Amino acid sequence: MATETQQGTEAPAASGGLPQFDFQWWPGQIVWFLVIFAIVLLFVRLFVSPRVGGTIDARDGKISGDIADARRLKDEAEAQAAAAAAETAQARAQAQRVAAEARAKAQAEVAARLAEEEAKLAAKGAEAEARIAKARDAAMGNVASIAADAAGAIVGKLTGKAATAAELSAAGRA
Amino acid sequence: MQQPAIQPMEQFMIHKIVSLPTVHIGGLAVDLSITNSILSMMVGAVLLIAFFALTARREIVPNRGQALAESLYNIIDRVLVGPIIGQEGKPYVPYILSLFLIILVLNLMSVVFAIGNLAGFDAAFAVTSQLAITATLAILTFVSVLVLGFIKHGPKFVSLFWVPGMGVFGGAAMVIIEMISYFVRPVTLALRLFGNMLGGHVVMSLFGSFVVALGILALSGGIATLAFVPSALSFAMIVGLTGLELVVAILQAFVFAALATVYLNEVVNFGHGH
Repeated sequence: MATETQQGTEAPAASGGLPQFDFQWWPGQIVWFLVIFAIVLLFVRLFVSPRVGGTIDARDGKISGDIADARRLKDEAEAQAAAAAAETAQARAQAQRVAAEARAKAQAEVAARLAEEEAKLAAKGAEAEARIAKARDAAMGNVASIAADAAGAIVGKLTGKAATAAELSAAGRA
Repeated sequence: MQQPAIQPMEQFMIHKIVSLPTVHIGGLAVDLSITNSILSMMVGAVLLIAFFALTARREIVPNRGQALAESLYNIIDRVLVGPIIGQEGKPYVPYILSLFLIILVLNLMSVVFAIGNLAGFDAAFAVTSQLAITATLAILTFVSVLVLGFIKHGPKFVSLFWVPGMGVFGGAAMVIIEMISYFVRPVTLALRLFGNMLGGHVVMSLFGSFVVALGILALSGGIATLAFVPSALSFAMIVGLTGLELVVAILQAFVFAALATVYLNEVVNFGHGH
């Protein structure tokens, strides 16, 4: 084994302490380590930090942007809902007003028609009464002439002479 | 058959895989050979890059891979840097994230691939249990913060060590204490990660050795067969320790990143909450 042969030569140096204190390996290790560390540092500086850090920042930006968007949309939707509610209330008020107006108009019309009809009926009633009164007067007139006729006939029968028409009508009136 | 010696430190031995020439940087000889430690670092970096290349999609609704990548990013960006430093901490997220990720992947590899050590799999080497590496990370972070402090605030940055309201002598004493506590930071940063990874691996290796040694002893028959019981108990112990080490691996990466963030905060928000 390689280590066995190495040990043969280095055992005296190592036996006094840790192999880490065998200073013949220090310069090479340090130089190589510095070179490798510089490469890692460059890689981290030029690739890892911008790429990984940039992605994390981009994600944070996107998340906060999306939240801001969502909040804005919510506010917008709420404003729209409020506007819609106001519009609905206005429309309802208008509808109520229109309905009330229509009702009032209809009632007024009905009242006018009613009044008209009543007036018509009253006129008809009055006409009818007038006709009745006329008819009664005519009838009453007829009754007088019938009575005069009847009285003339009775007088003629009783006296044998015809009474004058004036006498008869006076008698009838009496 | 000879019983294998219990060598919990053997796993930290470095050996060459590919020999490369030695260069001299400022009089210091640097052997650029690829060792098992360096191979593990490379595998870790490749795993890290491959993971993010495959999972870093731009979807608003992430899948599991993308969610994991984003969680790792958020641990640094929104758990550490955001609350501790604030908006001015944004430019430093890549550095803290790189610290966290490289420590995390190397810690996790050393635990998850630990079985590879038995098979001589070189990429299972525990890189973060090398003091050379944890000290490099700690000093790199400490010096970067210090340099940034002087760039941003100039000489008045040294007033960091002055505690107001203590008088001249009290203040001078506090300067010494504050300076000690300040310059001990890279040491504690380096030793904390190193010690945690080292200890965990040593303990796991010890229990692993017990499983094998006691198992071999039990196979010799007779009364020694009873040794199967502690062997099995040691195995159960390894299972539990592996879970614990996974937690430690993640926690230590987080702790390193958190402390780096706290130190950075003193510089970025200098004079504010001081």
